[in-house]
Amino acid sequence: MAEFECNLKKYRVLKGLTQEQLADQVGVRRETIMRLEKAQYNPSLKLAIDISRAVEVPIEDIFVFKQE
Amino acid sequence: MSKSKLKIIFIVGVCCLLFLLVSVWYTYTFNAGRLVKPMDFSAYVFQIKDIPMLAAISAIILYGFFLAFLLFISLLNQWQSKTKAVKTRKLNPKLGLLGFLGFFGFLGFWTYSINKTVFPFCFFVFFGFFGFFFEGKMSDTLMDERFKENAQKAQLTAYKIGFALIWLLLLLIGQGRFAANLEHAVIVLIAAISFILGFTLFLGKYLLYRYDHDGQSEEEINGGI
Repeated sequence: MAEFECNLKKYRVLKGLTQEQLADQVGVRRETIMRLEKAQYNPSLKLAIDISRAVEVPIEDIFVFKQE
Repeated sequence: MSKSKLKIIFIVGVCCLLFLLVSVWYTYTFNAGRLVKPMDFSAYVFQIKDIPMLAAISAIILYGFFLAFLLFISLLNQWQSKTKAVKTRKLNPKLGLLGFLGFFGFLGFWTYSINKTVFPFCFFVFFGFFGFFFEGKMSDTLMDERFKENAQKAQLTAYKIGFALIWLLLLLIGQGRFAANLEHAVIVLIAAISFILGFTLFLGKYLLYRYDHDGQSEEEINGGI
């Protein structure tokens, strides 16, 4: 799995959403959001786009993949 | 299917059965048991008195086809609802206790000693029911993409291990390690493959549970912010 940093928590809090609310909006479990925030789960493109739309922040700002 | 429909299907089945019984009685009483007693059908010539028996046989066959059709429709509906399913099925973890049925496999030693029956060795596969314990723990869980990914990973790992064990078993049996006697080798094969299949079924559920819950923090269990 490619290593990446995830800034989701920052943008989610800025948007005033709880993990549960965000999970409901994008149709996943809260545990998945938790893993995403810890960069322990590499999301699909669809989920990444859904999250980006939910928090209204570009994908590349939320998920930062490290250059090798 | 509604209860009233089931009731109608059951009543129709009972009617068909009664019709058949009456026809058999009629045939034995008035038609010398034609079409009931073994006979050479290549030399069959139709007689008016055969009508009740022919009608009863046709009714039973039609009813059988009707039941098969209903089964097909029900399986189709089940498959469609499965493809639409977004949550895991509701299951009580206590169903995992069914895994103890696997011990019935040991009955094979008893039946083999009595009349050489080896079929009960297949019951070792029931050890797989222990997997219900872990499936029940994840009962009614939303199947999001991470869950599906974990499920695929768990199943793949379980099947890989299962196939490797079966291959190893075949290798050892092929070398005559367990039993030089062919009959004993077959028994070992039936028992061991049944056990491995049960183990694979269990492992799939167990690994899914582990992948889903491993590294779960206190925060994750109690609810996030």
